[in-house]
Amino acid sequence: MSDATLTLTPPEHAENEIKPRLEIDGHDPSMLISMRNIWKTYQMGTESVHALHGVSFDIPRGEYIAIIGPSGSGKSTLMNLIGCLDTPTQGEYWLNGKNVSEMDDDELARIRNQEVGFVFQTFNLLARATALHNVELPLIYGGVGASQRHEMAKKALNAVDLADRITHKPNELSGGQRQRVAIARALVNHPSILLADEPTGALDSHTSMEIMDLFERLHSEGNTIIVVTHEHDIADRAHRVISIRDGQIEKDERIK
Amino acid sequence: MRYSFRLTAIWEAFRVATASLRANKLRTALTLIGIVVGVTAVIAVVTIIKGLDQTVAQTFSSQGSTVFSISKNPQIIKSREEFIKANRRKDVTHEDAEAIARLCPACWRVGIAANAVETVKYADQKAENVRIRGVDPTTMFDIDGVTIDVGRIWSDTEGASGRDICVIGADMLKNLFSDAPSDRAVGQEIRIDGRPYLVLGVLEPLGSIFGFSRDNVVYIPYSTYQKAYGGRRSLVVFIQVPDAGQLEIAEDQVRTIMRNRRGHATDEDEGFALETQDVFLNLYGSATSNIYLVTIGVAAVSLLVGGIVVMNIMLVSVTERTKEIGIRKAVGARRKDILTQFLIEAVGVTAIGGAIGVGTGFGLAYVISALIGFPLLISVTSAVLGVACSSIVGIASGMWPAWRAAKLDPIEALRAE
Repeated sequence: MSDATLTLTPPEHAENEIKPRLEIDGHDPSMLISMRNIWKTYQMGTESVHALHGVSFDIPRGEYIAIIGPSGSGKSTLMNLIGCLDTPTQGEYWLNGKNVSEMDDDELARIRNQEVGFVFQTFNLLARATALHNVELPLIYGGVGASQRHEMAKKALNAVDLADRITHKPNELSGGQRQRVAIARALVNHPSILLADEPTGALDSHTSMEIMDLFERLHSEGNTIIVVTHEHDIADRAHRVISIRDGQIEKDERIK
Repeated sequence: MRYSFRLTAIWEAFRVATASLRANKLRTALTLIGIVVGVTAVIAVVTIIKGLDQTVAQTFSSQGSTVFSISKNPQIIKSREEFIKANRRKDVTHEDAEAIARLCPACWRVGIAANAVETVKYADQKAENVRIRGVDPTTMFDIDGVTIDVGRIWSDTEGASGRDICVIGADMLKNLFSDAPSDRAVGQEIRIDGRPYLVLGVLEPLGSIFGFSRDNVVYIPYSTYQKAYGGRRSLVVFIQVPDAGQLEIAEDQVRTIMRNRRGHATDEDEGFALETQDVFLNLYGSATSNIYLVTIGVAAVSLLVGGIVVMNIMLVSVTERTKEIGIRKAVGARRKDILTQFLIEAVGVTAIGGAIGVGTGFGLAYVISALIGFPLLISVTSAVLGVACSSIVGIASGMWPAWRAAKLDPIEALRAE
């Protein structure tokens, strides 16, 4: 898609606006994430619905970025694409030097396992498994042996201050603790990106702040963090905000 | 890396599958029933028939295949036509037996026997449905393969005299003499159909076959039998050869002698029945092969039904755990990891069902063998086969649900509740 015509004309030009560089073969190899003219179209009966049309941006390693937009804006679709849960209808997505836009199911599973750590609004922990086993899950599918796995999972739980809760099951933990287990699971495999989808949506404001503080700390430790949210005060904690509306990037600006 | 990758995922699949089976105990139990019934049927029948096979083999080889018989009615009548044909024949007589003894050089022992079924009494004790076997000469004891335990067999002169004397089977001791030592019965007088008989001896027990005792018998001389039951009934002539190799020669000679004596032999019927023990063995063989077929049918149907139940339950399980599948896929489970997980679960259920079926099958066979009285032969092959068959059913019925689970879209799956 090197000859893609980009219609990136936001309504006003802010001085801190970020534009994707296009000069090198359609994507920027220095970037961790490089999205080029991404389209996602759903077929609803006879009608085609464009959830995303022509989205392009770059994310360098170590950035803390928020993707914000109202419901129906296409931000969930974008999150699914970034997280390699889905592939674009059109366009190129380069993640950590790999073109994932044309991978099949199992290759995507491999990428999710190695490159992406998910944090969901509803935590999505295995109800019957202990905190430790939940954190081990990505390592299991990554083929890490049992003893090494235990060690890595314990370290990850330790990093989110849950070292004393490793044998607890999700229903024995508070909401904040569950989300921290989920964060430990997301980080255990040392992924390229930590991708959080409304990570505080199911938490009270106090716990939300704790989780956001944790994200800040993880960012300062060098992790690349992408938070998808519709709440401005959550987005404001990030260093860069991409606003999505009607399937397009409305605004892409650095705020810190 | 590649190797351990698969191993950890398979171990996880195994762990999850067993946890899921444990968590849904009632459902697992209900799922098992069809499989258990199918495997039980196969194991029980195979074990029972193996036991019977051994009994039959031992029973018939005790006499060996050195004996054959000439009679009017074949001992096993397979059709109405055969029955009518046999009834038109002339009776086999004492003279026939004498002719065979005289004219057949390959025949070693020739004897005659006739049977009646009567009630036998001693004092206030009573034994019912006892086989009264009138025989002549005393070599019939050898042909029948019975030996005297206590007392003696009648002498030839006693036998020819038509005196009321007898030799009793081991069951008579039990039923008439309250299990007294054999020598207590010798010299006593028992009543058969109201007629008094002096007990000369007691036979060694032979045991039972198919639940029928072979010791529920009283031997009397044929001359006595004739006096008590009349001589008009057709006889059975038994011929024994010294070894199995001469059986065919003897059969040919006897057939020739009998044809000459019958004279009117037609194309359809030679006028007598010549039978060896093969008749029984063949009948037994065809009976058991029919039982095998029926059992395989029963097993196939219950395994099919069991398989459908497993498939149904697995579909429910997949639907219930859609969210879990989504989570696993999100963190990197590939299609085959999910497929393996659900396949292991399905095979786990059916293999457990198979193992239980093997257990109950052997249990059932044990109970039946104890009741009928034949040896219990536990066959490892049939146990392995039972578990293997049920596991195959598990794979077959788990494949589709597992595949549905494996190709679930992770986004959709994560959205499920």
